[in-house]
Amino acid sequence: MTATALPRRAGAAFALHTVACESAKGLQLMWRRRATLVMSTVTLALIYLMIEFFVGGGRIDHPVLTATLPALFAYAVASTAATQGAGGIAEELNSGTMEQSQLTPAKPGLLVLGRLGALTVEGLVPAVVLAALLWGGFGLHYTARPDTLVPLLLTIADAMAYGLLMVALTLAVSSIGALMEVFNMVVMFFGGMFVPGTALPHGAETFARFVPTALGVVVMNTTLTGHGLSAAWADGTLPWLVVHVAVLSGLAWAAYGFTVRRARAGGGMSPR
Amino acid sequence: MVAEAAIELSGLTKVYRERKKTVTAVDGVSLSVPPGQVLGLLGPNGAGKTTTIKMICGLILPTAGTVKLNGYDVARRRPDAVRQIGAVLEGSRNVYWPLSAWQNLLYFGRLKGLRAREIKPRAERLLTGLDLWERRGEPVGSFSRGMQQKVAIAAALITDPPILLLDEPTIGLDVEAARTVKDWITRLAADEGKTVMLTTHQLDAAQELSGRIVVIQNGTIIADLPTGDLLSRYAEDRFTVRIAGPLNGFTGLVPPGARVEAGEGSTRIILPDAGQDALADFLARLRTLGIALISVTQDQPDLEDVFIELVRSGAPSRPEIPERVG
Repeated sequence: MTATALPRRAGAAFALHTVACESAKGLQLMWRRRATLVMSTVTLALIYLMIEFFVGGGRIDHPVLTATLPALFAYAVASTAATQGAGGIAEELNSGTMEQSQLTPAKPGLLVLGRLGALTVEGLVPAVVLAALLWGGFGLHYTARPDTLVPLLLTIADAMAYGLLMVALTLAVSSIGALMEVFNMVVMFFGGMFVPGTALPHGAETFARFVPTALGVVVMNTTLTGHGLSAAWADGTLPWLVVHVAVLSGLAWAAYGFTVRRARAGGGMSPR
Repeated sequence: MVAEAAIELSGLTKVYRERKKTVTAVDGVSLSVPPGQVLGLLGPNGAGKTTTIKMICGLILPTAGTVKLNGYDVARRRPDAVRQIGAVLEGSRNVYWPLSAWQNLLYFGRLKGLRAREIKPRAERLLTGLDLWERRGEPVGSFSRGMQQKVAIAAALITDPPILLLDEPTIGLDVEAARTVKDWITRLAADEGKTVMLTTHQLDAAQELSGRIVVIQNGTIIADLPTGDLLSRYAEDRFTVRIAGPLNGFTGLVPPGARVEAGEGSTRIILPDAGQDALADFLARLRTLGIALISVTQDQPDLEDVFIELVRSGAPSRPEIPERVG
């Protein structure tokens, strides 16, 4: 006789249940460290304004602020996804809860989807707060178009793919903290947070197209300045953004699957 | 009908490859644990206990061999196999310290597929039974070590699994907390028929809790017997002979390896490895010399004595060991 301890649940309902369970845990943990989230949001705002002050030659230049605010939004989402995603995994590896959370009938991919759900919320909270405060505070002008939602969602997806890649690397690289700092700096600079990507030299602008969220920011700026998606499609930025999101997501997903299998083979999920 | 083993390990092997070096952590371990048995898996540090436990959990992939939990192969039917177990792992917090005990139990229950309405009554029962109900809303990080371990045990039990894997469950606990954990393990096996695999360095706890002892060293099993049999097997040949007065002038008659302890008005001679014939011969010589015999007792070694002897010899010290049970 084969005893089954738990009711066997599978399929889409169980997948959704698992994703929701993992997301809920992520949000509960976020709430516990809300003070840190507030501090990092304030710090990011101060860094952004200080740099803009220097870029503007001793004043805040509104046209530059208008062009770079979408990049600040994207960076807040991407850096939070990467920092909290990788930090959360590292913390779980060190404390041993990573192993316990793997003792589930669910596939590891579902767990990480839930984790990304919580990270999306955690990234959007500072991003929305900063964007709203600076937009309103400096009286910036944008053309509100519904089609801005397309690059916005693609940019968030790109940021999450970047976060997932960092999560995957955390399972394989013990010094991920230093590596992530470098990656975050690259996203910060080439993503157009200090100067618009279009103001970069040609070589740097070409390089920036490969950096997470950079193309999304360019397309968002196109729609927010009153041009339709057709303009972004015509100049090639929108199709490249779609390709970028697809490739980065695929790469991050494959890397996560690979590093989980590698960790299971080598005992790499045990407390370090 | 033969009852299916709750835990079935067959040729379980784990080889770690680190750069150009290979380390065999577990080497062809085969074991069958019947339902309801408490098995103590003992061994020195680095013997392969934790790797074995983690392979049973499916957290580490074996290089060779199979693990079946209630008939489900962990490699082929992982979801079904994982549903059979609850685990408290060594060197690990096991639960989320920033979250409350209640939040942890809800999370781990839902993670295994239970719904909140199914989890809540179980969580209440567990937390009440472990004297944690009043503090269920506080972060686990604010608890004492013993309370944190109780939460880990509750999390392992939240789905009411038939198999429990407990890797050093009493490590770092004070006497009272360790007592609570041991009482729970006893109750879970005796009253609820759960199969428990337990690793610990606290051999008194292993002796008290386990119906069967498996000793592992360098990744291989060197002893596998019911606890009573293992102890009695070592008791057979160890005797303490007590004589009146000192042994002055007759030390030459003491067999090699024996230990002499002079007391007030008497002397104890401990014969650690004497057969019945050797004992009879020794007693006959005492009688010939006119030495007054007070008592002869067969020593009952505890598990610590047996364990040390097994590990020191590095191999079975009796031809019958290892023998498989269950």
